[in-house]
Amino acid sequence: MSLTASITAPARIIRYSAANALADMRHMYTWKTWTFGWLGRMLAQVTFFAFFGHVIGSADQTRYLLVGNAVMTCVIESMMVIVSTTWERRVGTLTLLSAAPAPLSWVFIGRSLQWPVSGTLTSLAALFGLGPAFGVHWRAGQILPVTALVVLTAATTYCFGLFVAAVAFNADGARNIISNATYLLMMAVCGVQVPTSYWPDWVRVVAQAIPLTQTLKAIRSVSGGTGPALVPACWAVLLGVGWLVAASWMFQLMARRGRRTGSMGTGA
Amino acid sequence: MRIFLTGFRFQLRVAWGSPDTLQICVTAPLFTLVFMAIAEHAERPDLAPFAIVSPTLMSLWTLALFIAGELIGDERRSGTLEALIAVPARLSTLVIGRICAVTTLGLLSFAEAWLVAGLVFDRWLAVRHPLPFVLCLVVTALAMAATATIFSPLFILMPSARTVQNTLTYPFYLLSGVLIPVAMLPFWLRPASHLIFLSWSGDLLRDSLAAPAPHDVAARLAAVLALGAVSHLIGMALLHRVLRRVRRLGTLSHS
Amino acid sequence: MSAIEIRALCRDYGVGRAGDKRTQALSDVDLTVELGEVRGLVGPNGAGKTTLCKILSTVLEATSGSAQVLGHDAATDAATVRRHIGIVFGGDRGLYGRLNARQNLRFWAAMYGLHGAPLRLRVDELLERLGLADRAGDRVDTFSRGMKQRLHLARGLVGDPRVLLLDEPTVGMDPVAARDFRSLVGEMRAEGRTVLITTHDMAEAEAVCDLVTMIDRGRVLLTDTPSAIGEVVPRHERVVAGAVPEQTRQALTALPGVVSVEQEPSGRLRVETADSSVTGTVLRLLVEAGVSDLSTQRPNLEDAYLHLIGDRGMAVG
Repeated sequence: MSLTASITAPARIIRYSAANALADMRHMYTWKTWTFGWLGRMLAQVTFFAFFGHVIGSADQTRYLLVGNAVMTCVIESMMVIVSTTWERRVGTLTLLSAAPAPLSWVFIGRSLQWPVSGTLTSLAALFGLGPAFGVHWRAGQILPVTALVVLTAATTYCFGLFVAAVAFNADGARNIISNATYLLMMAVCGVQVPTSYWPDWVRVVAQAIPLTQTLKAIRSVSGGTGPALVPACWAVLLGVGWLVAASWMFQLMARRGRRTGSMGTGA
Repeated sequence: MRIFLTGFRFQLRVAWGSPDTLQICVTAPLFTLVFMAIAEHAERPDLAPFAIVSPTLMSLWTLALFIAGELIGDERRSGTLEALIAVPARLSTLVIGRICAVTTLGLLSFAEAWLVAGLVFDRWLAVRHPLPFVLCLVVTALAMAATATIFSPLFILMPSARTVQNTLTYPFYLLSGVLIPVAMLPFWLRPASHLIFLSWSGDLLRDSLAAPAPHDVAARLAAVLALGAVSHLIGMALLHRVLRRVRRLGTLSHS
Repeated sequence: MSAIEIRALCRDYGVGRAGDKRTQALSDVDLTVELGEVRGLVGPNGAGKTTLCKILSTVLEATSGSAQVLGHDAATDAATVRRHIGIVFGGDRGLYGRLNARQNLRFWAAMYGLHGAPLRLRVDELLERLGLADRAGDRVDTFSRGMKQRLHLARGLVGDPRVLLLDEPTVGMDPVAARDFRSLVGEMRAEGRTVLITTHDMAEAEAVCDLVTMIDRGRVLLTDTPSAIGEVVPRHERVVAGAVPEQTRQALTALPGVVSVEQEPSGRLRVETADSSVTGTVLRLLVEAGVSDLSTQRPNLEDAYLHLIGDRGMAVG
């Protein structure tokens, strides 16, 4: 395969698979239910945690919690890839997909793209819409870098989520639990609610490998005007690519195992 | 009472090991971890009761919303609802028995939250006022079950309500003082909060874990019960409508 | 080179909680399908047909033995095999209900490496050919079962496969749709494609297949032309009767054209006859003997096996 073909072929499959993601999104939400249902719920979640800063009685804490939890919303949504990846098995297409020449991972990359997109919008609404109410104000020059970093957070978290989805590929019944448990753990250790320095060393090391830790560091740098945002952002890109490679390798492994055990879904 | 117990035992068997119950068992400790970390990092060990009470109430609410909310829907999907209605036992009693089982399971999450605070953060919380505390938990579970009776028929009568099922979590936690005392909410929200039984439960549970003796215990328990009773009446009215519809149309499949 | 060449193929599954007990879905299967042939794979549910299709389509590995498609091994050269096969499963599953028919096909066309104008052309051509062109923009959720089945077939053809595996393709189809489907299989043959079609419907197998292979409990029973099998099967009929006096039973056994007389576990007597005129005689005898508990049955596929094996004394396996 030529170099261009090796890029355009996956891109094409991802694009057609993303049509499925879009169709799912349209089925689930209208503009109204997304805005007043989903977005409202997520903003309530951000407010819920930011209010805890009020209880503590510290304006700094409140701002810290608001930024962390606002960014967290796109993570929560991107991690839904763990759930939607198992939908292929449910509609009975998994057997057909594994009998087709193209690798499974390309399909799955496109299949759940609705989440990081919707998640990015949610995060931006929380940061820029809700932020000022909790004392998080933005200067015009901060908006573009923060937006870019939110997109990066959603994208790299999606890659990480794909890896978890691949690991949980055969655990159909536990998909919701795995998705929730993963994001709650990330919420605890990645610097969302408390700085990573709060945790023991080994937790901190693990947290460094999760893209969210890096992008959040970058976003806090931009919002507070402290420290360089570029270094953690580059780390996030590297980690994202790393997790994506790991995910596609894991999908291959799972497909091989599925062929041996006969668990690649029942088509009939 | 026998029908109630039958429903209770049946649902315990169904819910035990079901993914939803398991979900609560996994998420409650993780929420505690998050809340405790915030409190400990802010050097506010006095907030530990908040960190333990809110995951408990959140678990109860989630269970009520998802398991209990789907209860009648599940029967309808499996085609057993019509058969259940045809038996002489009162369906409402059976439903309440089943929902009570669900909320009882939800109470386990308090034990989990308490253990996490102790094991991870070495905050072994003493229940300073056990009687009000236990009474409040029981009354809360009952009120939760009573409120859940609204969801089951509601999701059948208004299928569109199901699409916002997921939406009924955090806005509600926020409004009902699950994490933050109602007194700290903006004043214009407070009247609405006082209409939700969870706000009374949360405050009383937190007070029973704190040093000073909680005041007006009986009145506050009565408030939880009264609000639960109102929810129950609404729930029964809705259930009655569902049953009437089944009897009239012979099926629920088009609702 | 044959289109499909299967040698000594076995597949075990682990059953039980720990998967420690083994059950054999396929045992020692040999099968050769020539290029351009339409081969039926007939057997009851659980016979191993779907397992065989899955191994050929590279989604399941064999425990032992080999399966080749166009000379390529399905296990070791799966990538090549996938490019040459198309698979179609019966039933409603396997389509993206929230996408329209065209989106479904375009997705699968991309999966088979098509792009640009050839992709669009191929998809439109298939939609036209399968009579889906005027509903191409509608969500598949809104399709009738027959239309979904046609879309399935279009999906199977999207990669222009030389070998088509059709697993119970007519399950749940109404008779008109099933007839249309049969003529489509005819077109496949005319185009020189090799088709392996599994079914538990003997009539369907007879209508479309060059050769039929019977399979049961994971073993191949026989391979023959439908007409050769048809010569044997339709003639046999069966009468089942309760409380038959011993004297009558002996008379029945002695009757020319009666193939067998056996006691069922329920105590009723089962009389197999060579054709309907003999069945008439048997029924008259029974009625004259005062037997009122009577029924006649056409043999099902399982009976066909029994007859074929019994009549020809063939080695099983």
